[in-house]
Amino acid sequence: MAERPEDLNLPNAVITRIIKEALPDGVNVSKEARRAISQAASVFVLYATSCANNFAMKAKRKTLNAGDVLAAMEEMEFERFLEPLREALEVYKKGQKGKKEVSEQKRKDKEKKAGSDNDKSREEEEEDDHMEEEEPPEEEAEEEEVEN
Amino acid sequence: MAATVVTAAVPTEHDSDRCGSEEENRGAEAAEESRQQQTGPAAAATHNRLSKLPLARIKALMKSDPDVSLASQESVFIIAKATELFVEMIAKDALVYAQQGKRKTLQRKDLDNAIEAIDEFAFLEGTLD
Repeated sequence: MAERPEDLNLPNAVITRIIKEALPDGVNVSKEARRAISQAASVFVLYATSCANNFAMKAKRKTLNAGDVLAAMEEMEFERFLEPLREALEVYKKGQKGKKEVSEQKRKDKEKKAGSDNDKSREEEEEDDHMEEEEPPEEEAEEEEVEN
Repeated sequence: MAATVVTAAVPTEHDSDRCGSEEENRGAEAAEESRQQQTGPAAAATHNRLSKLPLARIKALMKSDPDVSLASQESVFIIAKATELFVEMIAKDALVYAQQGKRKTLQRKDLDNAIEAIDEFAFLEGTLD
């Protein structure tokens, strides 16, 4: 379903929450100001995406990656974001790795039930090696937002 | 056609919630692993979901750009996070103008003033209704 950029707004409740948490208590935000900030946020996403995409294209890649976005932030003069973004990315990556391990573990458990007990430990080691190989950066390119 | 990403039409908020609880579980392990790093951000992240904005919506916005073919999950997350930081920043910068006008309510004109005055917001000029 084709969405026009204008139709894709970010959820008002979330934008409002972010604003409120950034401002001191007792400060209010008019509806118009909130709407403008929400619009600005959408424009920011589009601009950042376009900028990041330029870096990807320069590197002859079809897939936008985290590095492209960080480079875009610098290009857009939002260097102040780089540090917190890198930290958040680390936590995010660990979380993603954990999720993969969980689904790997579930798969292993199913196989164990079908297979014999003797092969268990050998299988585990092989599976672990397998996992290392399966997790190169490009793996992020697989578009399945499984959890989403 | 280049590989298109079809995100199922599932309510994004619910998806985020699901992600959130799973991330919290994983996050506990991650926090232990990253003990040498500061526990502040990591601890905070395990209690909140990592991104307040729904990744599916962010991704849809990104894909509305015809030049964008594929985007890694990480890149979507970082853009979401950066957008959060952006909202915080512009709200705070606009507040300065409200305070100058001795007001406690942020108004549209405060936004306009901030956009005009601050270099980083130049890209917004002429884009808001």
